[in-house]
Amino acid sequence: MLFQINFKSAKPVYLQLVDQVKSAAAAGLLRAGDALPSIRPLSEELRVNRNTVAKAYTQLEAEGIIESQQGRGCFVRVPQSALRKDARRRLLVTGVDEVVVQAHHLQFSRSDLMTLVEERFDALAARQTSYAQKQGTS
Amino acid sequence: MSGNTSPAVIDLDHLGYAYGRAEAVHDLSLHVKPGRCYGLFGRNGAGKTTTMRCLLNLLRPQRGSVRVFGMDPSRREVEVKRRISFVPDAVAFYPWMTVRETLDYLASFRRTWNRDTERDLLGRFRLNPDQKTGALSKGQRTQVALVGAICPEPELLLLDEPTSGLDPIVRREFIQTVIGAYQDADPGNHTVLVSTHLISEFEGLIDEFTIVDAGRAVLAIEADHARERYQRIRARFAGAAPALDVAGALRIHRSDRELDIVVAGEGDRLLADVQRLAPEWCQAESLSLEEVFVATLS
Repeated sequence: MLFQINFKSAKPVYLQLVDQVKSAAAAGLLRAGDALPSIRPLSEELRVNRNTVAKAYTQLEAEGIIESQQGRGCFVRVPQSALRKDARRRLLVTGVDEVVVQAHHLQFSRSDLMTLVEERFDALAARQTSYAQKQGTS
Repeated sequence: MSGNTSPAVIDLDHLGYAYGRAEAVHDLSLHVKPGRCYGLFGRNGAGKTTTMRCLLNLLRPQRGSVRVFGMDPSRREVEVKRRISFVPDAVAFYPWMTVRETLDYLASFRRTWNRDTERDLLGRFRLNPDQKTGALSKGQRTQVALVGAICPEPELLLLDEPTSGLDPIVRREFIQTVIGAYQDADPGNHTVLVSTHLISEFEGLIDEFTIVDAGRAVLAIEADHARERYQRIRARFAGAAPALDVAGALRIHRSDRELDIVVAGEGDRLLADVQRLAPEWCQAESLSLEEVFVATLS
């Protein structure tokens, strides 16, 4: 299953969906042109209100991750942010700052954190490769 | 002035109702926006059914005001009721009628009746149209009532304890099916107000809710905000659990090496405080809606 909802998380359910689509798209599990499940079956499967799924899709569309085609559904877009590089940088800085602060409190040094970031990039690349291979063989 | 420009489907302002000297609803305000799935949570006798009855003009509010679609249901009863479906907690049909006849009978009072929805739901619930309603189980009768409630495609669906007294396995399933089918037909315009004390079954379905107790609104909040606000933080320490300033905590439980705290808001700050005390293990999780309900009422 592509999505996993955790009601014990403080993260709003629609944001959990948004993040999972983004993560699947980054890893190559969802590729440009892939269709997302339509709202009603997905909301029934996840046992959430259709408003929640609709809100997630609206947000993903606003962020340029997916596009909705009238009457056909929602599709993953070719990664291409409408925002200029400096605007995208600002978005990223906020997230990075949070990580840096958390690293400080969890007693991770600068080099520990850098190593971890490298590791996570490698892990993402490994997922991308593995999905690409599965795609090739199927 | 609250609500005079709001596009709310339901606007209750300072509603009050008493049966003789027994006050059932006290100063209750409630605002439901179009397209939402709104929960009215409370124990038995909290005033949920009385509130529903005031919306339907089955009871005349003694204090405050009721507006449905911006109209006073006591003055424009037909106009309001035409746009509503109501499923009471105990449904009753003429037992000699078949399911088919019952639905046709219900349809005869309505301007529209969606036959596709009817067929779809009868199929999903595996209801036999030729069976007499008197021979149906309580759960099946509720299913027929729910089918009859959504086929007219009302703008507002009122469900009063729709799952009480039903098989726990099926009830969650069919409430999901019905609300999904109903709201999907016209997203953004089909509004649900559901009253229940069986809150866990509505986890995920409810956008926003009000908890009522003894006729009063105790908490009105969006489900997402509730999960963000109501946090349970647990930690285990190497030695005795340290004393911690947790003013505003809803519940604190300290047992030699462990701390168990429930807070409403400031969960992140408290988690950071706890982590600074270097626990061996520490976890923060959101309360379920049912746990929020219990924490609010205790």
